[in-house]
Amino acid sequence: MQYKDYYAALDIPRDADLDQIKKAYRKLARQHHPDVSKAADAEARFKDAAEAYATLKNPEKRAAYDALGQPRPGEEFSPPPQWSHAHGQDATGFGEMDLEDLLAAMGQGRGARPQGRRPTPGRDYEDTVHISLRDAHHGTELHLNLGDAEGERKLAVTIPVGVIAGQKLRLRGKGGPGRHGGENGDIYLHIVFKPDPIFRADRHDLYFDLALAPWEAALGAELEVPTLDGKVVLTVPPGTRAGRKLRLRGRGLANPRGTAGDLYATVRIDIAPTLSERERVLYQELGTLSSVDLRSHLNQETPHDPTRP
Amino acid sequence: MTPQDRDWQWLDAGAPLNLMELSTVSAISATEIEELIGYGALHPFLHPLNAGQTIPLFSGHCVAPLRTAGKLRRDYDLDLFTVVIMMDFLVRIETLESQLTSLKARHPS
Repeated sequence: MQYKDYYAALDIPRDADLDQIKKAYRKLARQHHPDVSKAADAEARFKDAAEAYATLKNPEKRAAYDALGQPRPGEEFSPPPQWSHAHGQDATGFGEMDLEDLLAAMGQGRGARPQGRRPTPGRDYEDTVHISLRDAHHGTELHLNLGDAEGERKLAVTIPVGVIAGQKLRLRGKGGPGRHGGENGDIYLHIVFKPDPIFRADRHDLYFDLALAPWEAALGAELEVPTLDGKVVLTVPPGTRAGRKLRLRGRGLANPRGTAGDLYATVRIDIAPTLSERERVLYQELGTLSSVDLRSHLNQETPHDPTRP
Repeated sequence: MTPQDRDWQWLDAGAPLNLMELSTVSAISATEIEELIGYGALHPFLHPLNAGQTIPLFSGHCVAPLRTAGKLRRDYDLDLFTVVIMMDFLVRIETLESQLTSLKARHPS
């Protein structure tokens, strides 16, 4: 069994009190927490600090640890005989254990099985998966790479039809294997949609921008528009104004537990960047004929507010 | 590599969990979950069983924030009450992110 210097791991003196121990641990935990630090060794350093803290915060475990003296870190040592008594087993039972397992099992009473032999649930995995809108609509199969100290394995996971962004899925029993009769861990997947060149999703509803020429907006039109299941014809009513949303009911994302989402075309009125001479003449003629005033609200005089200077 | 498609579970309002299931997925003891209910961090609803009996169930929505808050509590050795505070903020962040996604989708690009 190899000795580890827990005081050095937390960078505290051997006579540190509990308050100093806790402060040192929290400082290191915040510095090396895998959610915060991007350093390659962050997880290992966080784990080292957590292991040291788990022992030093517990008076019984700390006393047992201190009784080992101060071997050099990494130096082999044998647990003292009284540890065998405390764990209810003979000295040969320590062979497969390390210092962390041994200390973790302390305080659970005489005869308690050390951590290494108790039913231990498998590790849970959490992952964010990025899928396309089309894969969400039709369902898909993902290949996850699960890696831990025991190696790497691949798992094929079926993503059901109708998932939406922000949704979480739990894959029961597909995480790390349990040990000594413990249950397997789970996998938790957080669904994120990849950006789509056409559609934007709001839960099961989809939105896209529909550019109309001025005459299409004014006169109405029958247009082919894309959906996740192919093109359909959309009727643009005469007098359609910019910003209006035209709905195609049930053409959004599939929803196996309810009604499919809708597809909304958000109208944008656009013109060609350059005009032919003939087009210019026709626009000028239209401008002359039209009596519409689209900016009348801007010409209204602002009422005087006597409370303002 | 065998595809699996039967063991997934939605974590939303349509897939409620009982107390023991919530305890298992969150790695928080049933006693502490009951304490969290007392603080108002979790809101079980009563599901009717036979013979007029009911069982408290929890929306699957609470699993993700509860797991995150529980993990941070363990990682930093925090008090159980901090789980209550973190749950409030995590749920609020998720709600705001959802609203932002919705607004971005509705707003012309």
